[in-house]
Amino acid sequence: MTASPDPAIVRSPSGGEVDGRLLLAEAVGFGRALRSAGLSIDLAAAVDYARALTLVELGERDTVRAAGSAVFVRRRDDREVYDRVFERWWRQRGRRLPNDGPLTAIQPDEMAPDDGDGIGAEEGEEGREAVDGGMVDGIPMPLSGGDESIDEADIDGHIAAPDAYSAAEALRRREFDRMTAAELRDAERLVDLLEPRLELRRTRRQELHRHGRLLAPRAMFRRNIATGGQFTEWVWRRPVKAPRKIVVICDISGSMERHARLLLRFIQALSASSAVKTESFVFGTRLTRVTRLLRDRDRDRALARVAESVNDWAGGTRIGESFRDFNLHWARRTLRSSGVVIVVSDGWDRGDPALVATETARLRRNCHRLVWLNPLAGTPGYEPLAGGMRAAFPYIDDFLPAGTVASLERLGEILSGVRSSDLRRGGEAAASADAGARAGATIRELAPPAAIGADRVSPTDARPLRTPR
Amino acid sequence: MPDPTPAQPVAADALDSIESIQTSFRERDYVCDRSLATATFLALQLGRPLLLEGEAGVGKTELAKVLAASLGTRLIRLQCYEGLDVNAAVYEWNYPRQMLEIRLLEARGEATSANAHDIFGPEFLIRRPLLQALESDEAGQPPVLLIDEIDRADEEFEAYLLEILSDFQVTVPEIGTIKADRPPRVILTSNRTREVHDALKRRCLYHWIDYPSAQKELEIVSARVPEAPERLAREVVDFVHRLREADLTKVPGIAETLDWAAALLSLGARELAPELVDETLGVVLKYEEDIRRVRGETSRRYLAEAAAGS
Repeated sequence: MTASPDPAIVRSPSGGEVDGRLLLAEAVGFGRALRSAGLSIDLAAAVDYARALTLVELGERDTVRAAGSAVFVRRRDDREVYDRVFERWWRQRGRRLPNDGPLTAIQPDEMAPDDGDGIGAEEGEEGREAVDGGMVDGIPMPLSGGDESIDEADIDGHIAAPDAYSAAEALRRREFDRMTAAELRDAERLVDLLEPRLELRRTRRQELHRHGRLLAPRAMFRRNIATGGQFTEWVWRRPVKAPRKIVVICDISGSMERHARLLLRFIQALSASSAVKTESFVFGTRLTRVTRLLRDRDRDRALARVAESVNDWAGGTRIGESFRDFNLHWARRTLRSSGVVIVVSDGWDRGDPALVATETARLRRNCHRLVWLNPLAGTPGYEPLAGGMRAAFPYIDDFLPAGTVASLERLGEILSGVRSSDLRRGGEAAASADAGARAGATIRELAPPAAIGADRVSPTDARPLRTPR
Repeated sequence: MPDPTPAQPVAADALDSIESIQTSFRERDYVCDRSLATATFLALQLGRPLLLEGEAGVGKTELAKVLAASLGTRLIRLQCYEGLDVNAAVYEWNYPRQMLEIRLLEARGEATSANAHDIFGPEFLIRRPLLQALESDEAGQPPVLLIDEIDRADEEFEAYLLEILSDFQVTVPEIGTIKADRPPRVILTSNRTREVHDALKRRCLYHWIDYPSAQKELEIVSARVPEAPERLAREVVDFVHRLREADLTKVPGIAETLDWAAALLSLGARELAPELVDETLGVVLKYEEDIRRVRGETSRRYLAEAAAGS
């Protein structure tokens, strides 16, 4: 940047001179367009972009795009939105400039009508267009911006093509009623029960502690320097413990309709607790991540939004495909093998049971503990005979009835790890009726469902369905 | 990976355009597309850390190495892991040496007159990567700091990193604040096993590295495994691209392509054959179920399609 009479005039790499105020106005306007399309953009990024524009060739579309991408995009899923907004932004520039020249050619009054206000002025014309229209490239963009749109962008990337299962899928939107006061109270009570007692995991971090089992040489040297290396005081350390992460995968298909609401409430209560990190997903025919939606402080609004975002609400069920999607795209990002996975489903599945078995086995390998809540399991005489349930059963650590508050309290106990010595691994109780039929099931032995039915659970006595280890 | 070629490092200010970065990287056998070069260029010019994300094996770590070689400076690497703390990442006192020093002072009868400065001086400080990164080399060049796999570190460390990356200074209570004369060039990489915190992202420029196009990957293979016959290289790249389209647990990265090309070469292969593919599939695919899926039928079909198509 050479010294010019006007400090706002900067030299571009091509040698031409550009008004820095114009660049800033351009950058701020573009930033706003991006923000209204749902990216989280702060002013600092816009300022960076303005600086970046002084460093690159302004006439080269791909370079300018790449520069903006480096500054504004913060996650992979943002790229698509960014590209769309950029295309529109660039085209508008081109329309005003028949010769497609560099930015220098833009008339100041056209670029930034309120240029007179100086730096930091309002966005230029195109900024308003993008905002006012509420459309980017024919794609409706939320006007409010902020969290809502980020969530949508988030979900956008992971929904299968809408027409993927068109005919078979009973796509049905469901109005979400407000929770009854009683349900709310139940859910709230659960948080109180859960929060203080979640199973802890040893982290790799260490803390000094009087009753630690490991010597802490660093601290010991330090404390004994005064004695010149005579160890008069011994110092100990132990691993720091932290609550395990929880991932909830909730079935909201037609057969689960009656139960889903209370269970979502429960998930919401879990997510609201700050003590533990929770990720939540819902599935019917496809998997949708709802973690951010459920974080809304207004709990009823959050549930309504989940209902909106999930368009296969109360449709069919594809457990295998949904688990596969989770294993492929989310397991590594959300689990890191030390988390607890809670699946809420009745196990009624329209897909291939073999796939359910393979994918449940894989899910089990990726987590610390796999808990399955089944609303039907509280019914006297219940046996996991439904296709999906039967396939998944051998890989489940804890199989619990769900649907009553009492049974969710039981879940609280499991999550706190208090009863882990009583709890039994699903597969170990199981012997094998159809093991030969399933290649993926070799890790654990399978049980004939009859053996499970023998250990019955009534709604009043909600115990895990397992025989002793 | 072959050794870096003995290409002469260019002066820091010679990497002053997007093209010169591309050229300089290319000389060191690193093929990078224009958007990545632009992000790197801006990171250098704006003095910002560059956060690189992408699937495993797309060359995130390699970029830092090539950048250091291009600039002719040191590469300082900090590998992140859960539980990484200040003592392992920034500095640590050399306690045994301090002990010895005290004994020595005692033996000379100077122990009483010595002050804390004598045993808490810079010579007793063990410099860990982040502190090393604040020091320029003899030529006055700041190093390239690679903070690898930041997603593996825990959030406590990430918070600490925020401070260092914004001010490029470290405070050691016994000595004072150590500040970089010239801030290091920082590259962070993440495999996205978890989302990096927004506050950290805000301080960085960001680039997602995609898998390269077939043509670009062929260029990479011929740069990195120059001994591979052209036909073999083309067939390997083509096969790997078909694998990336397939529904696999873990699709192969560029690193796997290169490994595979090198492996086939060492077996004396001139072209891909069905048996050869099945025997060496373990170099490219790292999950048993993926290998089972591709071996036999599928791999033969890929080869046939490749032969017919291109």
